[in-house]
Order: sequence, then C-alpha cells, then structure tokens
Amino acid sequence: MTQSMKTVLRSDELSCPSCVPKIEKALNALPGVEKATVRFNTGKIEVEHDPSQSSVEALVDAVRSTGYEARPSAF
Amino acid sequence: MSGVILEIKSAFAHPARRRFWLTMGSGGLIATGLLARYGFDMIELWSALMVAAALLAGSDIAVRAWRALRVRHLSIELLVTVAAVGALMIGEVWESAAVTFLFMFGAWLEVRTMGQTRGALKELLDAAPATATVLRNGEPAEIPAHEVQPGEIVLVKAGQRIPVDGEVTEGTAAVSEAAITGEPMPAEKAPGSHVHAGTIAENGLLRIRATNVGADTTLARIIQRVEEAQDEKAPSQRMIERFAQWYTPSIIGLAVLTFAFTQDIRLALTLLVVGCPGALVISTPVSIVAGIGRAARSGILIKGGQHLESAGRIDTLALDKTGTLTEGKPRLATVIALQGMSEDDLLRLAATAEGGSDHPLGRPIVEAGRKQGPLPTPETLDEHAGMGISARIEGRDVAAGNRRLMEKLGIPLGTEGEAGLERLLKAGQTPILVAADGRLIGLLGMSDMAREGAKEAIARLREIGIRRVVMLTGDQEGAAQAVAREVGIDEVHAGLMPEDKLDLIRKMKADGAHVAMVGDGINDAPALAAADTSIAMGAAGSDVAIETADIALLKDDLGKIPEAMAISRATLSNMRQNLVIALVTVAGLLAGVFSGDIHMAGGMLVHQLSVLIVIANGMRLLRVPKGARPVAGGHETSVSAAAKAATART
Repeated sequence: MTQSMKTVLRSDELSCPSCVPKIEKALNALPGVEKATVRFNTGKIEVEHDPSQSSVEALVDAVRSTGYEARPSAF
Repeated sequence: MSGVILEIKSAFAHPARRRFWLTMGSGGLIATGLLARYGFDMIELWSALMVAAALLAGSDIAVRAWRALRVRHLSIELLVTVAAVGALMIGEVWESAAVTFLFMFGAWLEVRTMGQTRGALKELLDAAPATATVLRNGEPAEIPAHEVQPGEIVLVKAGQRIPVDGEVTEGTAAVSEAAITGEPMPAEKAPGSHVHAGTIAENGLLRIRATNVGADTTLARIIQRVEEAQDEKAPSQRMIERFAQWYTPSIIGLAVLTFAFTQDIRLALTLLVVGCPGALVISTPVSIVAGIGRAARSGILIKGGQHLESAGRIDTLALDKTGTLTEGKPRLATVIALQGMSEDDLLRLAATAEGGSDHPLGRPIVEAGRKQGPLPTPETLDEHAGMGISARIEGRDVAAGNRRLMEKLGIPLGTEGEAGLERLLKAGQTPILVAADGRLIGLLGMSDMAREGAKEAIARLREIGIRRVVMLTGDQEGAAQAVAREVGIDEVHAGLMPEDKLDLIRKMKADGAHVAMVGDGINDAPALAAADTSIAMGAAGSDVAIETADIALLKDDLGKIPEAMAISRATLSNMRQNLVIALVTVAGLLAGVFSGDIHMAGGMLVHQLSVLIVIANGMRLLRVPKGARPVAGGHETSVSAAAKAATART
C-alpha cells in the first residue's frame, strides 16, 4: 500500500515554456511519482508522489538535473 | 584565492549560478578573441579562443540536451547543440561561439526579467513571514510560522508582520492590511478583532490566538486563487501552444529538407537556431501573469486570462444600485419640522419611539437622536407591523411610521404634511412621518447614500472608454434617479425584477455591446451570469455572486472597477502588441534566413532580443496606475469577504 502526497515546488528560473515538458518528463520518470505538473506562468511545480519511493529532495534533484533550481513551498 | 575557488565550486552546484559563470567566461573568451583578431591580427589565437568559448557555453547546453533526450524529449537545447557542433565542424567557429554565448546570455537575462514579471505575486508570497513568536509554557519561542498550532498565542510587536490568521486577545494596534486588500489606511485592532497573516502591526503589541496557519490563511488562499487564475490559459495562449507544438518539429523537418535539396549546411543549421518560437510562446503568458499580478496587488481578483481578455473588450457597464452604488444602509437625509417644532425636539421624540424597535430604518434615527443627548425611556410602546411604532413619552402620545400608520391613528397630514411628503418622495427618499398628540409634527427622509467615490469612479470609467454606464435596480424610480443624478449616471432602469435585469443584459449583448455587470445579492445572479464579464464587490457581494463572478473586488471600493477595467484593457492591448512583435520576428527570421541575410549568430541575436522585448513589454503592465483615488473604510468586512471567497473555492 503506497501513500501518495502532493508536494509543491517553486522555481524562479522558468523562462521559456519549452522547459515544461522537459521537467514534467524528468519528474514522471522518477519511481513513485504519479503525476507531475509544471505551471509555466507562475513557476509552480506540483508533484503527486509516494515519499517513500521518491523524497522531496529527489524531486528537487530531478528538476536540478534538467537545469533549474526549485525549492519546496508550503503552498 | 582559495576563497574564490570555493565560490566557483559552490556556484557549480547551483544550475543558475553555474550558467552565469559559464556565460561570463565564454563572453570573456569571445572578447579576447575579437581583440586578438582585430587588434593584433592573430587569426589562429582568435580561432582557438572561439572554439574554447563555444565549448564552455555549449557544454551546459549539450548536457541539458542530453538529459532531456534521456527522458525522450526533443529540447531547444538539442537544436542549439546540433547547430553549434555543426558550425564547428564546417569551420564556422565565430558562429558557433556567438550562438552558444547568445543563447546562454539571453536565457540568463530572460530568467531575470521573467522573475520581475512574476514579481507582483512574489510580494504577496513574501508577505507571509517565515517565523512566528509563540508563547509556550509562558515563554516566548520563535518557530516556523506554519508550525504554529491553532489555539496557540502568537506575539506580534510593532513593525512586524502577523504570521497567522487569528483573533486578538490582548493589546491594540493599527494594522496595515495593504497586502490583502490593497487598502493603504491601517485598521484599528483591539481584543476580539480578527487579524490576517501578512498584515503589518504598525505600532503597539498584540497577542493573537491563532485560528488558521500556513496554507489555510486568507493570504495563502488568495495567492492560490491568483495563481490558479494566472495558470488558466487564455484562448490565445492555447492557440499559440498548439502552433508551437508543430512549429519546432516542422522547423527541424524544414532544415533536413533544405539540406537535402540545397546541400547548404549553413542554411540548414541557421534554421535550427531560429527553431524555437520563443517570443511567440511567451507573448501571452507574460502579459497575463503581469496583468493578473498587478490587479492582485490592488485587491482585484481577475479569475483567469480568458476573463482578462473579455474584460478588456467591455464597452458597456451595468450596475446594481442598492449595496453596489449605494452603501445598502439607510441614513437620515432630511428632517422637516412642522407646527413650530424644533428639529432637535422632533428628532428626540422620534428617536425615543424608534429606540423601542429594531427596524433597520429606525437605527439611523436613534443614532441621530442620541447625538442630541440622552434619550428618555418611553412609558408605553406599541409596534404596528408594517406601519411603524407608537409610544407614550413624557406624557405625550407619539407615533412614527408611514402614511398608513397616520391613517390608522386618524392623524391628518394637512397641506404642509402633503407637501413635505411630496418633496421627500421626489428626492427618492423613504419618508417617516412623526406625530404627537394627534398632530403631525414633522417628517424624516431616509435615503441610502451613494458610496463615497462613486461619482469619481463613474467619471473615470467613462474616461477609460466605457461608453455606456447603466443603472439596473429593483428600487422605485425616484430613489433610483436621485442616486443616478448624484453619481453621474444618465441611463436608469428602475423597478426591475431579477429576470428583467437578465433580459436587459441580453438585449444589450444582442445589440453588439460587450457588457460587464456589477452586482451583489442573489437577485443579481442571473444578470451577472448573462454578462460578458461579471464583477462582484467584496463585503456587499454574497458568496453566490463572488463565486460566479469573473472579477472579484476584495474591498467595497467602486474605484477598483475602473482600475480593473484599465488593467484589463492594458493587458489585452499588451498581449496584442506582444503577438505582433513575435509574429513579425518569426516571419522576419524565416525570410532573413532564406534570403541569406541572416546567419546563425544574427538569427540567435534577433531571436533572443525578441524574447526580451516581449518580456519587457509585459513588465510595463506592473506599472498601470491606480484608477481612482482610494477610499477609506470597510477593511474588516472586506477581508472576511475575501476569506469567504477563498474558502468557498477550497
């Protein structure tokens, strides 16, 4: 039984919407990530994931590997 | 020296800083190279430096291209990498260096400027303090704001931002609520008052019992709603994204075909460089994010790009009267004393009688009477439902109410009374007749006053190009005309049922007008739904109206309507300007590439410049001036309405 939670990351570095599918695909490739949505207009990254398989830290690393710095946010 | 190395090391762990240093390094190499060639005629050194610059800037692009490829994504970085490598292979070292440097440098500038465009909301986000001082076991302790437990006591000193939503238990302070309502005047808070996270205690010391923390605060909910609005794609944005989806692949196809037919590798590589429709895909989002963000800063919630687009086209505005143009609270407007009574005595008697009733029309009379001094207690009191009240006061039989009450008690109005009644009705006021010992001693005129700033707001609306301003009201003609005259509206439709309002809105739309409707209350809901843009006012607006509205004003300030309209208009034209800039750039680039006037470096330069111009243009929206002079009053109610609006959605 996996338990999924929603994590919100924020990035100030999204400058062209072409990064949206790139980051979404990188996050979706992680284990335990059910759904990743990148909102270009606000720079918000919403991830539904199982924290026991992919931690918040792993999400941040995945975004960083595509070349963008993001940080967890309360909302 | 080791400090510098450490700094560079730490910079490399951070993608943005790494890119900055790579860009600067590559720029430095290019500058040195240019100096070597044109200053000292050292062609070999120039070549070597250009290759180094291309490798330095290109390494990051290539790494990102590869990482994207691994998750099966064809990125812009891949196109640039192919172009840069291709250029190196055919010996075009300058093109390769310039393309990679410009790509990196442009992206760096774009990140910075985009950040500023999103900045309007960042102010709101930053308004929520990260830490809170709570009382635990009688001792103050500083903890992260979202870890405060509901029910805990939070201490807030002068100058600090309040970290939670809560109720004041001790202390008083002037609290600036600008972050939430855009209202610059601070509100007085005392024990029992509600305060909101993100507002600032300008003086004093407050103890606050936390009710909502973290993502549950009003501020957080407002931010969430604004962001939902910003992320909702406008129709034009959707269209562009569909276009962009096939634009990049077709440019790749075009490049391959071009090479197959012309064997011109330079032309094919140049096509790859201009293959990102950067300015185009960013044109609409930039305007919308800036426009909605700018509006949010003034307490105007525009619920998405689509609504912004339709609000920008409005030429006709319909307003409800009661509670929208007026305050929705009757006030004592006229006092007519008869039979040699003084106004003071008339008020004193009427107020004493009304003091025994809780009829809404009685309240302002009681208030006015109390200003004269303490009121006596009536010996007896009789309420006549739907008519008024009669009482025995200091030995006199006093009656206050409508004409039917006077008829019931057999009190004649006389010519003086009839004239006074006529005068009040003509002025659109609700008359209250006052009698003592069987004789009419005076009349009181009650009116629902126009809101402060209503006249200025209507004038400003006309100024910004709303051609037709119409009042729709269920109230009687006289009262409607009186308010209309006061605020400067010349088209009045009075005595309407809710479905009449709906019909009128439909008719205006059928005549080709783009109609916005401002209203409150359930009886306005059908008309609001039928309008192209519906606007709900904060405190006066019911939950129904706020939920269905396209634009919600967090504060009961009519001045926000022209401001919202001005922002919408500015955003719509800003979006159009951006689209034109972007389309001209795309067309110009393609034409330039095929005519041979634009090569790789030039193409990248034009492309990056167009993106920056589009962002800079969008940023202008953050400086749309406030529409009208802000009007003081009604902070607390408007915040709670905003809270309601935010809660209802979550």
